[in-house]
Amino acid sequence: MTHIVEMQNVYKSFGQVSVLKNFNMQLAEGEKVVIIGPSGSGKSTVLRCINKLENIQAGQILFEGSPITEQTDLSTLRTKIGMVFQKFNLFPHKTALENIIEAPMCVKKISKEAAVQDAMKLLDRVGLADKKNSYPKELSGGQQQRVAIARALAMHPQIILFDEPTSALDPELVGEVLEVMKKLAQDGLTMIVVTHEMGFAREVADRVIFMDQGVIVEEGKPEQIFTHPDKNRTQSFLSRINSF
Amino acid sequence: MRLDYSVVLSKLPLFIDGCFVTLEISFFALLLGMIFGVTGALCRLSKNRLLNSIAFFYVWIIRGTPVMVQLFILYFGLPQLGVKMSSMSAGVLGLAINTGAYITEIIRAGIQAVDRGQFEAALSLGMKYRQVMVRIVGPQAIKFCIPPLVSQFIMTLKNSSIASLVTITELLRTGEQLIYTTFRSFEVYTVVAVLYLIMNSFFMIIASQMEKRMERI
Repeated sequence: MTHIVEMQNVYKSFGQVSVLKNFNMQLAEGEKVVIIGPSGSGKSTVLRCINKLENIQAGQILFEGSPITEQTDLSTLRTKIGMVFQKFNLFPHKTALENIIEAPMCVKKISKEAAVQDAMKLLDRVGLADKKNSYPKELSGGQQQRVAIARALAMHPQIILFDEPTSALDPELVGEVLEVMKKLAQDGLTMIVVTHEMGFAREVADRVIFMDQGVIVEEGKPEQIFTHPDKNRTQSFLSRINSF
Repeated sequence: MRLDYSVVLSKLPLFIDGCFVTLEISFFALLLGMIFGVTGALCRLSKNRLLNSIAFFYVWIIRGTPVMVQLFILYFGLPQLGVKMSSMSAGVLGLAINTGAYITEIIRAGIQAVDRGQFEAALSLGMKYRQVMVRIVGPQAIKFCIPPLVSQFIMTLKNSSIASLVTITELLRTGEQLIYTTFRSFEVYTVVAVLYLIMNSFFMIIASQMEKRMERI
């Protein structure tokens, strides 16, 4: 089985601080991986290295079997890797629809008609077809994040990276975003999700990775990680999360 | 001596001609200055060391020396090195180089004020640096740039009065020539001031309209 993403001995530091230390991870096509761990453990950095928003200092990352190097065409690579951000990062000067059709038209050179047609299907999929002409400012956080998911889907990526997609949301808006993500998972989308939503991890993940201080402490099936974690650090992290 | 505006007002067509020369200098200086400024800002933000330092020194030298001295170097100094240009070219170029340095800083600050996440979102969709700048970051940076740019435009229009010193007959010099024949300094200078105020007010009105239109983003 070929891996869609493979990280081999990846080392990443910001100045003096090592964020990822000999980090190894493989992801099969169609697999849903959830990464959990305390803040500062390097979870988001893992995602940002995969689509090369961050450069790594050592090791290598393979995408669809070929290593990402200085010669890799980043534009092409990134069209295959969608990303959803904690703070949505919708383009504020564009409507929901314009946000979604921007990259297909400008990067993939798809005609406006085709892009709009596809975008409307995607807006419908995230339940926001009626908001197509709204500007981000006019949408709730949950709605903005759903538009951002549609925007990532519009490139028809092989995989989507979710970087704490619900952390910036009011609690009552978290559900609608997770609902959309669950649907995507059921449709077979390959995804890596960094999140603190343990319920989501339990329900959706094929595999849960617990990270701390730049390394994988423990990984396995959700029931194993959540009910019988092997390592003390995993146990104490989970008990702290659950005590809330 | 009592104030008498009749002589001055009878020469109003001369003043209007002067206004047009002032507007002409300012327009071309700003057009060119915007080109210098946008280029300078992109160089300042570039990872290329050479481009970055060129832009840095440009801003440092121009902001650190008086615009009048810059203009004198261009018009009176350069001919000594064999570079001669008309007073109009020297005036426009001098003002453009000067205002371009300030515009460089305004645009650089505007681009840097755009949330880093906007770059990242656009890059993560596969957009290239140029596309990100033109389609995503640029339009948002404009919003931050408009207020300081308006001040800079106004400053340039007023600085164009310095062009009178390199023998361009713009508004101020038109007035001064009239003083030689009428000796009405107070009346002439106040009329000149009012005309500058009127021209700048148009600028300000247009700018506030633009700001209103940008408000929704």
